[in-house]
Amino acid sequence: MKAGRPAFPEWVRRLPEYLMIWVPLLLSAAHLVSFSLWTIWISFTPSTLVPVTGWVGLRNYSAVGASRNWQIALDNLLLFGISFVVLSAATGLVLAILLDQRIRGENVLRSVFLYPLAVSFVVTGTVWSWLLNPGLGIQKLVHDLGWTSFKFDWLIDRDMAIWTIVVAAIWQSSGFAMALFLAGLRSVDADIIKAAQIDGAGPIRMYRRIILPSLWPITITVVVIQLQFAISTFDLVRALTNGGPGIATQLPALVVYDLMFQRSLLGRGAAAAVLMLLILLAVLLPYAAWRYVRRRRSSHA
Amino acid sequence: MPITTTRRRLLAGSVATLALPAFARAQGAVKPRLTVISQWSAGSDGAAITALGKKFEEKGGVWQHSPVPGFTTEMMNKLRAQIMAGDPPACSQLKGPEIAAWSKIAPTVDLDALVAAAGYEKVVAPDLAKLHKPGGKWIALPLQIYSTNMLFLSKRAMDKAKADKIPVTWADFNDLAEKMKAGGVAFPIANGGTRPDDGQKFEAALAGISPLAYRAAMMNLEKKALEGPEIKAAFAQVRKIADWMDPNVGAQHFSTNLKRFIDGDMGMMIMGGWAQGVLRNAGFKFEDFIIAPGPSDNSKPVFLLNADAFIFWQRKEADLQAGQTLMAQLVMDPAIQTMYSQITGSIPVRTDVDLSGEGWSEGQRTTAKALKDAIASNQAVLSMAHNMAQENGMTAAMIDVITEYVKNKTIKPEQAAARLAEAVESSR
Repeated sequence: MKAGRPAFPEWVRRLPEYLMIWVPLLLSAAHLVSFSLWTIWISFTPSTLVPVTGWVGLRNYSAVGASRNWQIALDNLLLFGISFVVLSAATGLVLAILLDQRIRGENVLRSVFLYPLAVSFVVTGTVWSWLLNPGLGIQKLVHDLGWTSFKFDWLIDRDMAIWTIVVAAIWQSSGFAMALFLAGLRSVDADIIKAAQIDGAGPIRMYRRIILPSLWPITITVVVIQLQFAISTFDLVRALTNGGPGIATQLPALVVYDLMFQRSLLGRGAAAAVLMLLILLAVLLPYAAWRYVRRRRSSHA
Repeated sequence: MPITTTRRRLLAGSVATLALPAFARAQGAVKPRLTVISQWSAGSDGAAITALGKKFEEKGGVWQHSPVPGFTTEMMNKLRAQIMAGDPPACSQLKGPEIAAWSKIAPTVDLDALVAAAGYEKVVAPDLAKLHKPGGKWIALPLQIYSTNMLFLSKRAMDKAKADKIPVTWADFNDLAEKMKAGGVAFPIANGGTRPDDGQKFEAALAGISPLAYRAAMMNLEKKALEGPEIKAAFAQVRKIADWMDPNVGAQHFSTNLKRFIDGDMGMMIMGGWAQGVLRNAGFKFEDFIIAPGPSDNSKPVFLLNADAFIFWQRKEADLQAGQTLMAQLVMDPAIQTMYSQITGSIPVRTDVDLSGEGWSEGQRTTAKALKDAIASNQAVLSMAHNMAQENGMTAAMIDVITEYVKNKTIKPEQAAARLAEAVESSR
């Protein structure tokens, strides 16, 4: 008798789904938005030890902008962000292409390259700080092997120290880029590849003209994800150099933490955090716009 | 609130049941209780505060300690959260000028009567006392003292340098370092690479060159003193020290190099008194090293004070108030300070404690004597690197300049002095 018509109206039947998706989503969005707004408000107040009301206009911003720590952090972010994103994407792509050659033990190798991602940044930073320390790590090993003029002291060289962070970050996350690129390589239409082979295209030409061009949407995803990681890098630097030697490897997130929790300058810390948010938006908004345009185009096509 | 059933409490409970009639008589009095937060959880610090808690319980109190391990600033984050929630601990660790700053955000307990009853003020170094009574009234009590500029000498490095005289002035110190270098000590100065490490080298240099200039520049932030010749001289001395250090320390903790120091690969270490505890903990013997006051150009010891203290936050509950009274009495008690310092390797705040007996080390006696002499000659000053002279924000701004100077050998002492004055100006 009942089989003919549904027992509940459609919306009741789907209620658990709505609850599962929307409640957590709205809660986390509300948290994110309300705390961001709170931070923005604090950045305009004279708060130091505890949040207080009051209005100081842009004074916190100008104080942060004029501080040497912040200027060094911005320079470093530019250098670190660009070199890390480019090099980790390139490393990931090369690894993906090499793995894509239908080799034996691919699964094992894939896990090996992806594994660093499972390690905490604090662990990565600490281990690399030992490896790169001239008195303990690679330099000492080479000296002990007999090549005593060998020099590899980036960690304690304030001009080169930022590169140690690039190296450690690439080690950690090029496996992630590799996994995305590998998925992209696998999704290239096999018919096109066959057609190219029949037409007599060599492997280099095939990669350059056919396979790599089809990867560019994935490349953009990789770049954006890695960039937002670069902007918010904190634990890796803290464990590896702690901003040193001196203050040579400061990054924005370190400055925010330092201002808020070490120096008890909540207002200035909040201003630095808002500046970081603006940098992030400068990356994410164009990406969102690009996705939007692409989706519209594909739905019109 | 965590429910902890210790054997002691079970026992106390059963005793209470047996003694019910007596309990009924004593109902008018409350059982003192104390909620405490501190960063001391492990090692000798953890052992010391646990021992203090035991004493508190022996006096009939209920001890509720919640340690927040890590840096002092992490303990402060918990304290801040509790204060903002309107539920401060009855007592918390806090030190230096932070006592004055924090006392503005929540009401504190007036301890004047208790301090007067214990006659405590007479036996505390005046500069130190001032920090604990920011509005003229005692609201916090110092517990133990360290000097941040003790000079540790490696016996083996001294042998290599064929030297047996302990350096008194910076000139002596520099001579000895050169001798050590010539005698085959690879790095005459042992050091870590953390921010306070760098700050300590500078404060030791400046206070040793001129305690007067130190007081004016670091403690009172006088513009003239900050631009004075002593600051440049101190930076020049720091450069010498930096050149004698192992550049490979990176951002390591000073304790990483203790073995090389004892072995005579490194010669001298300017470090706080706590290094004695760390050396002893690492299994090294007193015969392996010498402890002396840091170099002072006028030959009288200069003492850079670093003191741990407890601040008391106002609570309405009668049992917590009783607990605060008991805690204050304990902290000022010479027997308790003796017990505490013997565990941590510090020296007592009270200048009238006799350190000649069993349980004290030669290093602690030297330190205590240095403090007495320094107070007599008005050369006991507050440590900048360990947040005793200024609030955290100002200290951090100064250490930024110092740590960059230590690690960047192209910066001239004059430039560093100018940057220091500038950093102070912009953080006022």
